[in-house]
Amino acid sequence: MMDPRLTEVGVVDEKQLKLLMRDWRRGRADRSLWQALSDGYVMVFSIVVIGAMMVSSILQAQQTASICETAGCVAARGLLPWASVAGILAFTLVVARLFGPVVASSAEGFWLMDGPTDRRRILAGRLVGGIAAAAVLGAAAGALIASLTGSGASEIGIWALAGGLGAAGLIAFAAAEQGVDRHWIVTGVQWIIGAAAIATMVLLVSGAAGWMDLGGLTLLAVELAYIIAGVGLLLIVVAGMLAFHRLRNIRRQRLTSGGSLLSGLQGAAFALEFALIRDILVEAKAKKRGHVRPTRGTGSGLGALVMRDVQRLWRQPMPLITLVATIIVPYAVQALGLAMLNPPISALVLLAALVPFMNSLRVLTRTKGLQRCLPFDPGQIKQAAMIVPAVLALLWTIGAFPAFLGVAGGVASDPVTAASSALVTGIAGLLAAVRWVSAKPADYSGPIVATGIGAMPPGLMFSLLRGVDIVALVTLPIVFNWPVWISLIIAVIAFMILRSGLDRDSMLEQQAKQKKQLEAEKARRSGGAAAPAKKIQVQRKR
Amino acid sequence: MADVAKKDVVLQVDNLKKAYGPVTIIENFSMKVHAGEAVALTGRNGAGKSTVLRCLVGADRPDEGTVTVNGTKVTETNPVIRRTVATVIDDLDFFPDLSVVEHLDLLARAHGLHNPDDLVDEVLEEVQLVPQAGQLPSTLSSGQRRRLALATAFVRPRQLLVLDEPEQRLDVEGVAWLGERLKAELAGGLAIVLASHEPSLLQAIGARELRLSGAR
Repeated sequence: MMDPRLTEVGVVDEKQLKLLMRDWRRGRADRSLWQALSDGYVMVFSIVVIGAMMVSSILQAQQTASICETAGCVAARGLLPWASVAGILAFTLVVARLFGPVVASSAEGFWLMDGPTDRRRILAGRLVGGIAAAAVLGAAAGALIASLTGSGASEIGIWALAGGLGAAGLIAFAAAEQGVDRHWIVTGVQWIIGAAAIATMVLLVSGAAGWMDLGGLTLLAVELAYIIAGVGLLLIVVAGMLAFHRLRNIRRQRLTSGGSLLSGLQGAAFALEFALIRDILVEAKAKKRGHVRPTRGTGSGLGALVMRDVQRLWRQPMPLITLVATIIVPYAVQALGLAMLNPPISALVLLAALVPFMNSLRVLTRTKGLQRCLPFDPGQIKQAAMIVPAVLALLWTIGAFPAFLGVAGGVASDPVTAASSALVTGIAGLLAAVRWVSAKPADYSGPIVATGIGAMPPGLMFSLLRGVDIVALVTLPIVFNWPVWISLIIAVIAFMILRSGLDRDSMLEQQAKQKKQLEAEKARRSGGAAAPAKKIQVQRKR
Repeated sequence: MADVAKKDVVLQVDNLKKAYGPVTIIENFSMKVHAGEAVALTGRNGAGKSTVLRCLVGADRPDEGTVTVNGTKVTETNPVIRRTVATVIDDLDFFPDLSVVEHLDLLARAHGLHNPDDLVDEVLEEVQLVPQAGQLPSTLSSGQRRRLALATAFVRPRQLLVLDEPEQRLDVEGVAWLGERLKAELAGGLAIVLASHEPSLLQAIGARELRLSGAR
């Protein structure tokens, strides 16, 4: 028999539920946002300093771009915002697909979605929030790119509008598709926009190199921005309405999977563990895929590890396509007249493109369990796991070499200088990717530094710079016009440290041995005395 | 027992001490494990079983004392130790993009087996993961992941097997299978050290029991 108290079921008021949840959350908060920001003055100060440095770099780049007067340089400048905004829009769709874009936490999924609630009333705010966030971030990215290319204030505003409205429109579109649990249209659009971004970069380089006349196209630049903004606005209205109507029917699983992923990523983000963020994304992707057609390996010993990495290339060709596509970057940077900054910028892009090829290295270095199963020392394992990425980096370097020669416009260099720059760029990108993937996380068991926002391990402060530090160390000599051998020596030292690491075991062992020797020596010296010296007794006055 | 004593000592532990801060987990711990012998570490939760096992395989550094395998001092990075000691403790990781069978194939090949297909298939069958051969590890249940972890120890050469609560997450049939498998390993001359809360498993393999008392 049913408990009589359960027979009288009232009508759920979702608004009251949300207010209740907000009260609970606020009730548990021990500081306001302003207090948190005041406490985190170190971080705020750092952001201001880094921001100032970025603005300064942008202004410098803007000046360089502004003085480019050749037809090629002007063409490149006009097309870069096209490619960049297309890239921003493709990235928006990737993020939207990854998370939802409408998300709910697992707890909300369990406690709220299972009850007789109207999901639309709970989720409507999130839909609007997602669209608004995309608009702000897209606008900021659009403005940044436009200012980097030396555009005037009105053009910067127009491209910001295009980036913001375009990204917001795509989030609304992805949310509408989420409501009917359909993926293929969003995936298709993402591919088309991504391909458009790459095609525009190719056009940019072709125009800058003088292989193609882009005169007519560059005149369209601002008009295109208006078109993107218009389509974005239309999508916000139409797809936004559709998404709102479909919110009621979104499957709980589609909401909470994105929410769980997001909370996992938040945890890793607070620890500034970007490699861990990638691990979570890779794991989520593997879970989605679930099954592969198994292939037997080839070779034995360390060769088996290398050959397995080769087999991985066929299994996941996407990173390979991305790597090939990134070869366009050094050409574009050179065409924009930023020859001096080409090695560091291109090396950073290569870093990002090489990371997906380092799954072996990542797993074998993040914990020691699997590494311990292999009968090699850690240096050998790391070296074997670096071989395939190194070969890919070499091929990328060969592909990028003509860019440094200046074949696609920009500053021309002699073959030796161009080869040196390309080589240093390739090595810097490879070593930076190895560092990014295999760097140890911040050690919370060691000494902790007191800061305004609480105690933190010193390593945490450098987490942001992993990989970027290697790029800077290896490429800056080129930027400062120093001899190339300085870069190469730095690269060799970096490689040796990255390969073997600082062997903590042997260092500790050595330390223990030295301690024992010291104690033995002390004992030997004091051994001559027949009895320990009598302590002097001091009578203190009270 | 007399037979065991005549056999070679595979693992020797002398005066092991490990402390975390002011808490001493294990002190003056010594033991010898001969080929064909199984030693079980037992004791309540927190008694130091896993700590001892981690020191045995070099995952943790003891504060005092030595651990040797076939006369070689154990350090985690020594390839000789890695070749000799097969370990299933709680820190085993998997490649997210390699399937179950590919993990076993890779380990067997890395250990120098040129044509390991038969062995891999045999072990896969034994741990009942044939239907999951093509699955990625993130989609396996916890019990299946445990079976895969155990399988990694059986597709490679080994003289010493170190297992931390191997019965965890296995079903009744799985524990029975494990007992039989470990018995066969002992008969083949393998030395085994394990921590376990499963008396039936220890009984099945006739393990010598060392009871740990815990932290002070």
